Amino acid sequence: MTEFVTQSIRSVGGAAVGAVSTVGRAGYLAAGAVRALRKTDIWTPHLIPQMARIGVESVPIALFIAAFTGVVLALQSSYTFTDSVPVYFVGALVGKTMVLELGPVLTGLALSGRVGANIAAELGTMRVTEQVDALETLAYDPVAYLVVPRVLAGAAMFPVVVILADALGIAAGWVTSLALLDLSSEEFTKGLRLFFESFDVLFGAIKAFSFGITVTSVGCFFGFHATGGAEGVGRAATRAVVVSSMILLVLDAFWAAVLLQ
Amino acid sequence: MKEGKEFLVGVVIVAGITVALVGTLWLKGSNWGRPTVRVEVLVQDVAQLSEGNPVKFRGVSIGRVSSIAVEPSGLAVRIVLELDPEVILPASAAVVLGPESLFGSWQVDIVQPEFYPGFPFMDVPAGEVERGVRVLGGYALPELSRLTASAEQISANLAELSARFEVAFSQETADHLARAITNLSDVSEQIRDLVAQQAEIAGSVTARADSALTQIEAASRVARRSFERIEGILTDAQMDSIVINVRLASGNIERIAGGLANSSDDLTRTLARADTAFARIDRITAGIEAGEGSLGRLFADSTLAVRAEGALGQLDLLLQDLRENPRRYIRLSVF
Repeated sequence: MTEFVTQSIRSVGGAAVGAVSTVGRAGYLAAGAVRALRKTDIWTPHLIPQMARIGVESVPIALFIAAFTGVVLALQSSYTFTDSVPVYFVGALVGKTMVLELGPVLTGLALSGRVGANIAAELGTMRVTEQVDALETLAYDPVAYLVVPRVLAGAAMFPVVVILADALGIAAGWVTSLALLDLSSEEFTKGLRLFFESFDVLFGAIKAFSFGITVTSVGCFFGFHATGGAEGVGRAATRAVVVSSMILLVLDAFWAAVLLQ
Repeated sequence: MKEGKEFLVGVVIVAGITVALVGTLWLKGSNWGRPTVRVEVLVQDVAQLSEGNPVKFRGVSIGRVSSIAVEPSGLAVRIVLELDPEVILPASAAVVLGPESLFGSWQVDIVQPEFYPGFPFMDVPAGEVERGVRVLGGYALPELSRLTASAEQISANLAELSARFEVAFSQETADHLARAITNLSDVSEQIRDLVAQQAEIAGSVTARADSALTQIEAASRVARRSFERIEGILTDAQMDSIVINVRLASGNIERIAGGLANSSDDLTRTLARADTAFARIDRITAGIEAGEGSLGRLFADSTLAVRAEGALGQLDLLLQDLRENPRRYIRLSVF
């Protein structure tokens, strides 16, 4: 009994130490990344390739998700709005929801799986195969070489991808309203413009920017600290996706509380 | 390879920025460089009007709200409108701010104030005209919340009214009303029966009247014949002789009445004398019973008494006969 209690307390203490250690390592990596921003000769050549990998190559999946989200939004809003609500509110709901919420969040979640897992697996493999150590041996700053271009690429490309996804989602909802609902183009655009604010686009871009930094940073962190061979790499990729998704949703609520109040 | 990736990244970024800018401008209703004319509006309150809301004239969208700002004096709000320059507004234009729908969106409606005499449009100061920008007076319709507040007050009044009505129209009242209706039904039934009876009676009366008329007609025929006879009698002078005879008879009757009056006086006097005689007879008989006088002695003697008794018996018979047949003893003469 005494041993059980002792073991339980030891587990709690170990978890706490592990959490603090993780936070500390994350802070250390973040500080190293900020310091590495000065080493432009190291990370600049890798920025465009990372932007292409993280941003351009993510556009198709983001557009695919956004297109079907727009279709579903139009149909569900039409189904929800009864006779007492004008039909042009379909446009308002599709536009507002896509720009403010579903565009950034769904794109962020999709890219956390695609980009975050990719980064964690890539860096984790480099870590367990001691390629990171080799970089350090060659006097390359691994953070500047591996982390900074990915985080910057994510921060730069996520808003672009999200804006494109927003546009395609609204267009899909528009086409759906014309094709499947008794809605004219004028009615849809009237609803679209009814509650539109320029800040909505900025709000979505800010969220996407933070999501990009989060997804790439978490992927880099878990990949950078992967241990235990191939299994450790897989575990790092899984954790990167799970943790980045959770942080993403927390950030979603945070930005809503901060910017929409 | 590197240039290809750079191009791809550039395309995506440019596309994203373009979509964001163009989409925002389009959704905000930008004029895309088309010329506009500036019109300003002074109102006391803009309610829920916001920048970008449509401006309509006769129901047609001709522009948008460009800006809204409170005047430095704090007494009014200046709204700047960007309108289609091809639309010519009437000289007496004014502005009504109102909801475009029930769901929050508002609009600016340019109207002619003479069609809205009840709207207190804000007066435009004379100095505004000199600036070269057309300035209109405006009026904001009450917001939906104010209308709902009024509606709530009305509904409360209605609820109170209905409650009072409910109190007034209780079950007892309903019962009374039902009873009154039943009574009305009974009364109408009775009136119907009465009318039927009256109709029946009227029919009977009519029949009787017919019969009476028939009888009257017959009687009138008889009367006519009688009158004809009377007229005949009158024309035959028989009536004159009848009148003469009647006059003679009445004279005779008058004389008989006078005689009767005289006879009555005589009878009175005769009866007085008879009473006196009877009194004397009573005195005599009393003396006789006392044995006074010759008659008394007669009565004292049995022989005489027997003879007197016989005589008295005869006297009684005589008196009786006298009472019964006074004419036998008393002569009355009328004529």
